[in-house]
Amino acid sequence: MSESIWLLLGLLLLAYLGSNLVGGRAIRGFGLPSGSEYLVLGFALGPHVLDVLGRSLVHTFEPVVLVGTGWLALVVGVGYVRVADRYVTPGRAAAGVLLGTLTCLAVCAAVYLAAPFSGFRGFGRTAVALGIGACASATTRHSVRWVVERHGARGPLADFAADAARASALVPPLALTALFAMAPGGGLPTVPMLGRIGVTLGFGAGLGLIAALLLGRDFRRDESWGVLLGTGLLCVGVTDRAGLSLLGAMIAMGLTLAFSRHRLEIKAMLTPTEKPVLLPMVLLAGAYVNLKLSKPVFLMVAVAVLAKIVARMLLGSALSFGRVRGSGPAFGLSMLASGGFTIAAALAFSTRVPGVAADAVLLFAVVSTLLGEGLGPAALRRSLERAGELHAVDPSELGRPSDAPELAGRESHG
Amino acid sequence: MSGHGSTQKGLATRAVQALALAVSFGVLFAITRFMPSIDSRLGTMTAIGFLVLSGTLLSELLEPLGLPHLSGYLLAGIVGGPHVLHLVDHHTVAQLSPVNTLALALIALAGGVELRVSTLRSVAKSLAYANFFQSSVVLVGMAGVFLLLSRFIPFAKDMELRPLLGVALLWGAFSVTRSPSACMGILSQTRAKGPLATFSLGFIMLSDVVVVVMLATTIMLARPLITAGASISLSDFNVLGHEILGSISMGTTLGLALAMYLRLVGGQLILVLLALGFGVTAALRYVHVDPLLTFMTTGFVVQNLSNQGAKLLHAVEQMGSVVFVLFFATAGAELDVPLLKQAWSIALALCVTRAILTYLTARLGSRLANDPPVVRQWGWAGLVSQAGLALGLGVVIQGAYPTFGTGFRSLVIAAVAINEMIGPILFKLALDRTGESDRSAPAARPSLPPPAGAH
Repeated sequence: MSESIWLLLGLLLLAYLGSNLVGGRAIRGFGLPSGSEYLVLGFALGPHVLDVLGRSLVHTFEPVVLVGTGWLALVVGVGYVRVADRYVTPGRAAAGVLLGTLTCLAVCAAVYLAAPFSGFRGFGRTAVALGIGACASATTRHSVRWVVERHGARGPLADFAADAARASALVPPLALTALFAMAPGGGLPTVPMLGRIGVTLGFGAGLGLIAALLLGRDFRRDESWGVLLGTGLLCVGVTDRAGLSLLGAMIAMGLTLAFSRHRLEIKAMLTPTEKPVLLPMVLLAGAYVNLKLSKPVFLMVAVAVLAKIVARMLLGSALSFGRVRGSGPAFGLSMLASGGFTIAAALAFSTRVPGVAADAVLLFAVVSTLLGEGLGPAALRRSLERAGELHAVDPSELGRPSDAPELAGRESHG
Repeated sequence: MSGHGSTQKGLATRAVQALALAVSFGVLFAITRFMPSIDSRLGTMTAIGFLVLSGTLLSELLEPLGLPHLSGYLLAGIVGGPHVLHLVDHHTVAQLSPVNTLALALIALAGGVELRVSTLRSVAKSLAYANFFQSSVVLVGMAGVFLLLSRFIPFAKDMELRPLLGVALLWGAFSVTRSPSACMGILSQTRAKGPLATFSLGFIMLSDVVVVVMLATTIMLARPLITAGASISLSDFNVLGHEILGSISMGTTLGLALAMYLRLVGGQLILVLLALGFGVTAALRYVHVDPLLTFMTTGFVVQNLSNQGAKLLHAVEQMGSVVFVLFFATAGAELDVPLLKQAWSIALALCVTRAILTYLTARLGSRLANDPPVVRQWGWAGLVSQAGLALGLGVVIQGAYPTFGTGFRSLVIAAVAINEMIGPILFKLALDRTGESDRSAPAARPSLPPPAGAH
């Protein structure tokens, strides 16, 4: 049997584990919120350490990984406006997007200044700065959910953290959409930058609209999978071929579906696919990490990480001047947590800007994820404790899936 | 594959489907024409998306004409494939072959699950007669027709009688192959229940085993006729015996394991089916065991030795709803349209005579078995389709006999193309006419009311 079959079976096993983690009972008990352990496992199995996953073997699965990044964006988009069984408030969503954007800009500026010392010039400089900025902007909602559920947190700060984390996921796809539109070449050389951004988002939204219309008055699950898979893969493939951001198009498609009449059913269908897609993707991303980079590139990544920490702490402090009780530098640190979506953004970046820039962006995403894993959940717990929002967990609540709301429960019994 | 309920869809729904179909073709047409030089790593994924979407939509749009969904999937593949609009190229079609592996595993599993011992017992006499007559009369009859038409067949017209007899026998063997995938596809769409559906499914699944043995026998008998100095070797039967027994043993083991999993765990069946379709198929091929027969046995064991059959069938159908679309659309894209244009007249003549022989033989078998009237009248309709096994035989013969193999394979492809398009239509027509198709709409899942506080 070929090596690729073994790898495929391994990835299916991971997806199987991921599916079980979605089940709800396991979420508080097993695994790290960002899935860092799979990242490290992938790195250990990859070409740098054990070389079980050789470079060519890992690259065989590149299309699957890229589709996985697009699919994650779709899942995030469809679930964008809802946290568990309530809607995200517009104010908190705006705050989340603003926090993400400001972090993106701060890190982008720092990297832009440091990039020439690492040999990045011209578009490469802009690309690496914006790419790393995009990866710095999102806070993983899994980390917030993990802390909130593990410690039974309830209150305005917990809600704010959950909403802001979910809302911040919009920033990486938008930043990458702008970056891809700026990039020279591609399939639409005569279209101006703003036009390319419009095409990316419009194409995704258009396919989302078509999918929503096709699902029609009656929602039949079997047909729905065909429609969602068909439109999703078409969206990913066409945007990639045109040199546009697949992440931007897919989140636009997801957001369009999030406002359709079948949003709850679609969310209930797609949410369980997140972990099965995420874990194999994170594992392969770990194997993709390239450490054979020059010292200045490592320094540039270090500058980016430092800039992210400072930006988050400053933004956390700025929030304390508002009405959000319990926020401050520690809360800012809690927003450092990043995970699969950040890794997805880094992988998506590599589709348009390959080479050292892509390696640097992926390295930043990985370091950022590992650092966020160490600092984020602990900082959030401290902030929630200070805000008096931690409560004893009710054991009867342990079996309730928290992020796959109404229909998920019915599905499992139906 | 969706059910019949969609016939109730209104004009607005059809308009949206037509618009979506135009968009999917238009988008792919634009990127293949205006960005031809740009190489994308996601070409295969784009093709999958396009084929699934356009296949689903075209099948829905053709439904009011009474055509089966399968014809829509095939048509989407033919039109978008390398020989017509070239939206999906040859290389991409070749890269989609793993989907065939998965689809065939699902088809065999579903076919096995559908075979209940009690049902088989009730139609055992019919199946025995039908298998005997369909295998023997069609083989000999079609070999004779091939001999008669040989002067119109380019690669056969100058052959001497002895090798020509061998080639005719091979054509006869090719003619007895059927298509389990087309049968399952139509039954899945129509959700048909009744004597005709039971007979067709039972016959096609069992004939798969009969045909494998018959093909090996015919190839063995034809060899000394075609190749001077060659002799009959029984070692082929030794290998075949190992393959069949090995497949049944592996299938039984796998079936018991799967039944236990379904009973004790029962979750993430899609991932389990993916692992079976890709991983286990690769392992079975590695140990020279036939995956189709193995998975059919697996499904049969789960159905008849446990109470988990319904759960497995539901999971297979759920996954098959997407995989089958892709499988048949890819088959459509693989159809060699230019070749069909060249060889259509002789291929059509051979197909028509095969269909007539199949009809007459089915009537004879049904009469002797004292089948119910619907089976007597329509039992032949499900036996016209041909697909994978027939094409596989073409490849084997091309490899074994380079002198005429290429021409033989081309004729096989042309004949399969015709039977693949006509067969499913005939079978669906039969199920509709006999009233065995389920015309009720599949259960829809109404939208949930928006929660309180929604904006």
